[in-house]
Amino acid sequence: MLSELLQGIESGGFLIIRDSCSYSGRDLLKSFITAALNREEVIHVLCFDVSEEELKDGLKPSDTQRLHIHNAYSDPLGWTGHPNFTAQQFSLEDLTNLVKQTSHPKPAVLVIDSLSWILRHKTPPAVCQTLQQLRKGGAVRAVIGLLHTDMHQRGTVGSVCHLATSLISVAPGVKGKEAVARVTKRSKSGKVMQDEEIFCIAEDFTVTILSKASHAEHKTNSTEEEQADPTANLTFNLRLSDSELEAKQKLTLPFVFSKEKKTALLHPGPGSGRILYEPDANDDYDQEDPDDDLDV
Amino acid sequence: MFTELNSILNTSPDSFTQGEFILVSDRQSDASFLIHHFLSFYLRARCKVCFLGLAQSFCHYGAVSQRLGVSLTQAKEKGQLVFFEGLKECLSVLLPKENNAESGAMNFLRDPPVGLRSLYEFVRSSVIGSGSMEEGAEQWGPNVLLVDDLSVLLSLGVDVGAVLDFSHYCRALVCSQIQGNMVMLVRCNEEEDDDDGDEGSEVLLKGLIHQCNLNLHVQGLPTGYCKDIHGQMEVCWKRRQGDAPHMQKNLFQYKVHDKGASFFARGTSSAVL
Repeated sequence: MLSELLQGIESGGFLIIRDSCSYSGRDLLKSFITAALNREEVIHVLCFDVSEEELKDGLKPSDTQRLHIHNAYSDPLGWTGHPNFTAQQFSLEDLTNLVKQTSHPKPAVLVIDSLSWILRHKTPPAVCQTLQQLRKGGAVRAVIGLLHTDMHQRGTVGSVCHLATSLISVAPGVKGKEAVARVTKRSKSGKVMQDEEIFCIAEDFTVTILSKASHAEHKTNSTEEEQADPTANLTFNLRLSDSELEAKQKLTLPFVFSKEKKTALLHPGPGSGRILYEPDANDDYDQEDPDDDLDV
Repeated sequence: MFTELNSILNTSPDSFTQGEFILVSDRQSDASFLIHHFLSFYLRARCKVCFLGLAQSFCHYGAVSQRLGVSLTQAKEKGQLVFFEGLKECLSVLLPKENNAESGAMNFLRDPPVGLRSLYEFVRSSVIGSGSMEEGAEQWGPNVLLVDDLSVLLSLGVDVGAVLDFSHYCRALVCSQIQGNMVMLVRCNEEEDDDDGDEGSEVLLKGLIHQCNLNLHVQGLPTGYCKDIHGQMEVCWKRRQGDAPHMQKNLFQYKVHDKGASFFARGTSSAVL
């Protein structure tokens, strides 16, 4: 499913790449940019997180005519007084003007790196509203965003991801260069498809799907080892024959509190345990009168 | 300067990568020994250093650097080191005197929602403002910004978002614009909490990890206290560096001495072998 998404996002589509501290989704984002450039699409990138040079690093220089990077990295809050693009300008009108500045006949794909920056400075409802308007507006054909899930509350992440038509969550893989991608695709008919794949990204940002993670491994653990039989291979016999087994099960243990014992204790039978005492002369020992000769 | 750490990071005062953001973080431990390392490293490399010392006084850093073979007073006099003493500046904001020129960098103490814009302006002026060379002034190497530490700002009432904006702007200025280096220390006290996105120092740490190139994460040993091994340090390279794989993590154990620190692979401490 990852390769299908790389081959093209449908019109009005909204793809979110979710990453975390342990694995950065920027390389996958660059793969999407490369794939779209190879398809002769026009791409506008809103660059908040990293500098323009860092984003362009590794991309082929010949494609830069169709790639327009809007630098929101150097001054996203207007501190220097002459900002290029600020976080507050993330609204439908400003973005439409931005995209329409470069006159191309085809509607462009808008790439946002990253949505986390905007979510930190604008309220989630406003961001969701702008994103939804962008999808329906027509100024851009599709939107691809990078979201750092560990920087926001789960509710915020959930709300933004709910708008997406496709979601890719990336996590580090078992081996060095590999990574695991959980892809969720929501089609227009309402059907939701999910898949999990292992992939790796080459130097030129082409993605190689290695295998499907759901079917691999975990099968070796299912075969349990057979229990070793301790009574085998001995010089003496530790096993029981059938009659011996029966006799053993019939045996009542001495200190087990069974029903018979309980009734015997609660209702003592006649003559069982009655104590008869006849006072003996030696037992009549008075501490204060040991010789028994005081006239008290 | 710890020579073993230099070999682990593959740097030396003569050759180091420029434009890097090195994040030093710790969890229930004290990673400030790494800040002293980087301070003496960059001073030895003849870089122009701007040091925001928010956690300790100038004398403290001076005394420790003396043991590492670098004199902060001399560096300050020569103009190589611009030292921002956070503790003193705090007092000048809270107890303003007539003859005390308030730099205004710490005015977020009076008004936390304002954010760290003035602190950023201070950094900008000390890093770029040195363009006007006086006669006979020495030529220094690339600019370096050191911050010790960012978590102090959180406890002074600054919002996590404001601290992340500050580090973003510093990175845009120091690393990208003038190709210098930046080292910041951030400290976490609590255990990792998966659910709560509101926890200040955790969100700050995660946000900074997303921004940095190299992360040195210091923790205590998972098995408990040990007299000969003071803790473990995880070195995490984030960005692509030529042929290096996407994200490389290495784990080392360390011991801090009187005049330095020694690093070794897990289980190879001289006390154990």
